[in-house]
Amino acid sequence: MTRRRWNAVDAVVVVALMAALVALATVALADRSARPTADEQAHDIAASLHCPVCKDLSAADSPAPLARQMRAQIRERLADGAGPAEIRQEFVASYGTSVLMSPPDHGWGRAVNLAPLALLAGAALVGAGVLRRGLRSPTPGGPNGESLQLDDESRRRLEDALAQLSREEP
Amino acid sequence: MAHLGQAGLVIALVLAGYGAVAAFLGGRTGRPAFVESARRTSFAVLGVVVVVNAAMLVALLGDDFGIRYVAENSSQGTPTFFKVLSLWAADDGSLLLWNLILAGFIGAVAWRFRKSHPPTYPYALGVLFAVQLFYLLLINGPARPFATLAAAPADGRGPSPLLQNHPLMAVHPPFLYLGFIGFTVPFAFGIAALLAGPGSDQWVTLIRRWTLAVWCFLTIGLSLGALWSYSVLGWGGYWAWDPVENVALLPWLVSTAFLHSVMLQQRRGMAALWNLVLVIAAFALMTFGTFLTRGNVLTSIHAFTESGVGPAYLGFLVVVLLGGFGLVAWRMPSLRSPARLDSVLTREAAIVGNNVLLLSATAIILLGTTAPLIVEAVSGERISVGRPYFENALAPVLFLLLLLVGTAPMLPWRATRRSRRLAHLRLPVGVAAVVTVAGAFAGARHIEAAAGFGLAALVIVTNGQELLAGVLRARRRHQRGALRRGGRRYGGLLVHVGLGVLAAGIIASSGLGEQSEVTLAEGQSVTFGGHELRYDGLTTTREPQRTVLTTRLSVTDGPGAATELLTPRLNLYPAASEPIGSPSIDRGPVWDLYASVIGLQRNGESATFRLYHNPGVNWVWVGALLMVIGGLTAGWSRRRVERMPHGQPDPRRERVPAGIGAS
Amino acid sequence: MATRRRTQVWAMGAVAVAVVMVTTVLGFGLGHRGALASGQFVQRPAPTFVLPGLDRRAESTVRLAKLRGHVVVVNFWASWCAECRSEQAALNRTWQRFRDSGVVVVGVNFQDAAGDARQYAATSGGSYPVVSDSDSSAALAYGIRGVPETYVVDPKGRLVDRFVGPVTYAQLSRRINDVLSKGDR
Repeated sequence: MTRRRWNAVDAVVVVALMAALVALATVALADRSARPTADEQAHDIAASLHCPVCKDLSAADSPAPLARQMRAQIRERLADGAGPAEIRQEFVASYGTSVLMSPPDHGWGRAVNLAPLALLAGAALVGAGVLRRGLRSPTPGGPNGESLQLDDESRRRLEDALAQLSREEP
Repeated sequence: MAHLGQAGLVIALVLAGYGAVAAFLGGRTGRPAFVESARRTSFAVLGVVVVVNAAMLVALLGDDFGIRYVAENSSQGTPTFFKVLSLWAADDGSLLLWNLILAGFIGAVAWRFRKSHPPTYPYALGVLFAVQLFYLLLINGPARPFATLAAAPADGRGPSPLLQNHPLMAVHPPFLYLGFIGFTVPFAFGIAALLAGPGSDQWVTLIRRWTLAVWCFLTIGLSLGALWSYSVLGWGGYWAWDPVENVALLPWLVSTAFLHSVMLQQRRGMAALWNLVLVIAAFALMTFGTFLTRGNVLTSIHAFTESGVGPAYLGFLVVVLLGGFGLVAWRMPSLRSPARLDSVLTREAAIVGNNVLLLSATAIILLGTTAPLIVEAVSGERISVGRPYFENALAPVLFLLLLLVGTAPMLPWRATRRSRRLAHLRLPVGVAAVVTVAGAFAGARHIEAAAGFGLAALVIVTNGQELLAGVLRARRRHQRGALRRGGRRYGGLLVHVGLGVLAAGIIASSGLGEQSEVTLAEGQSVTFGGHELRYDGLTTTREPQRTVLTTRLSVTDGPGAATELLTPRLNLYPAASEPIGSPSIDRGPVWDLYASVIGLQRNGESATFRLYHNPGVNWVWVGALLMVIGGLTAGWSRRRVERMPHGQPDPRRERVPAGIGAS
Repeated sequence: MATRRRTQVWAMGAVAVAVVMVTTVLGFGLGHRGALASGQFVQRPAPTFVLPGLDRRAESTVRLAKLRGHVVVVNFWASWCAECRSEQAALNRTWQRFRDSGVVVVGVNFQDAAGDARQYAATSGGSYPVVSDSDSSAALAYGIRGVPETYVVDPKGRLVDRFVGPVTYAQLSRRINDVLSKGDR
């Protein structure tokens, strides 16, 4: 089969892709160097804590009065100069580790935090294994494992028919 | 009414038991008389369950407070509409609806195969009856909706205030139940295929449309739940990663994976074993979800009241797991079909990728939801897993999935020759790149947002382009039936487009919005989200079952511009300890302006509001709608009408491998 | 067909093991239903507070630090809380029985309207000090997830017990006697 030659449209697409990569890099850099405002910090801390009287809402999202008090308290403590980790720890002292919205990064919590990555990697490995096994398999056989022998003419007609089906069918 | 209902439930139980026995005997012995009898029994069961549900409805509408369920969930002052809703508002009543829908599905299966049926049909019917038997045992045993009170109170307690606040409560559970319960049918046919033995792998063809319909119901049910959460609960979001929400999502993910991998079995004869595993997993997850929701294992907004059903559900789950996967293990040697791939750049490989990603997502969500339980069981340590965990863990999976959905429709089956289709990717990739750049300029603060929009655009353009090309081609050639014949493909493409829109909505609303909390005195204004909002005062309305405090916020975009009015409310119900807020939303094509009132001071002289400026939420609803339309289109397609010989199963047909030419 | 049988056995064994594990964990969850909701209890220094009296008089302010050397029963309540009413008698009785032994009962009003709270307190029949936690700082410090919740503080200022939900006289008296007897040694 012949390789298609590059043309103007291909060039435009490549340029666009490069621009996109540059844009992404810019956003990432800007994001990393931006220092969060006090409000944003307070919001982040509140978003990482459960509202104790609600079911599954964070202190940032919940309209409950206790959650409002938590947000006020977080802002006060930030103004006092306390750091985010310290503020979180104060709430943990009152409510236990289950007030944190994500598991803490030690002990079992760490295992739970790392699990998604492990699951995704594991699934990918299994998938890769399936693909490899499929690629290594011999020519397609019949339902009982016998191999089908086709002459060239039939094979060509079969391939054409399959290609036709491919184009039109899901 | 109570006696009628109770008696009806017992009769239904006996009938279902008979039906199961008859069906299994019919399968074992091959005698048509048994099968026919079982078939007719399903209609009888349906009739009885309808009567029982009607009895409860009559009791609710007639204020029969002698029945405990009516006394606890309805009252004289409850509006009629909400009295009807009370039928499924609480655990016991919703079991009635559950049984009704299940009986309806069994009846539908019986009706569908009334003229001719495949060899696996008797076993499938047997399994269906067995499941119905379990739920009828539940409703006759630990959960008794028709239990009576020794002394009937003068008035009932009324429905929970949260539940009667909005009519969306009406439709969310039924659709969800239709989706959940519907899984029983593919599961039953899968088990039947396992019981009947090798060679009976036409079951995926049989239940393709059922599975699609069930998938559509589940999509609708989940979307309605999210819509309810957003429009009614007033916290400004639509998905809280609540355990009950999570377990409803799991069967949806697995069934999506299943709908893709059946294509592998139908076209190439591959993945027979895997499809059985998937369908059993979907049903098991659904049962697990029911167990988690009703068995009171985790606390959640959906937590039903305590009842003795937890151990029953656990027992059923164990039976399903042992029976289903045990059968698979037993049949495993005869089920393994070799996977035959020509190259990685084929649709078969893409489907493998699809399954990998969707099942990873399922595993992650399942793990996150049960982690607190597992960790506590093993170590006594108490941890909590919430929204940040799920969002961080699933973001990469979502992105990979979008990448796959945006490129896979270009791939051919069985790359017999190098496809020119990769050239068709140029337009989508170009548009995606432009969107990424535009997103970065427009102020996407995080790299995930900009990249995410680009990927969503890729998905929409790739699939949209294919869809358009196919439709235009069919019209050009004046092929009338082509649209219907290709419905499966076009439906699938439309679902993908919907997914792209949904993903764009999710990405936009997860972190590009603003929120603020502000206390305003009457007449005072605040600037928020590019608008000026002024608190104009409070009105009080008394309704029979609640007092409504409505605040008025007038919204202007600038001097001289039109004024919108937002009216967030606080509803005071006598039964609730706190007022229940109703938010007010000004929806737009991109932005939603959302206000809820969370506190009033000095009789409304000032009020505390939570304001949100949410982008993209409406894209979520539109995307979900497109997905449902796509699913319906795919189900409506008809490649060739297959009719089996009248009355008897055709043993020859069962032997044909599900390969070329099967529909 | 030995491999066939072996595959079967392995597969079925794996299924059985997995199901047993799942059942154990879920069964545990069933058995421990309520525990997940009530939060942990760990002995720690009682969070200190300075709260104004409900009647807004200067001398009604309660400073927990000043109550060192006494056993203190800290009860969080609200007028809108139906369950709080059911434990009122127990609290009153505890106060009557143990005040001469130096035990102090303090009622802390949580997220309530001042007028409603005062009205409730007036009709509760209790004469122990009642204070108002208007900014919920004490509630947050103690780890309140709802009302009523009652805490017992020993003379050394340590939290020694916590009751979620309405408390009974038997529970309180048992715990107080426990603490008092330890103090005598």
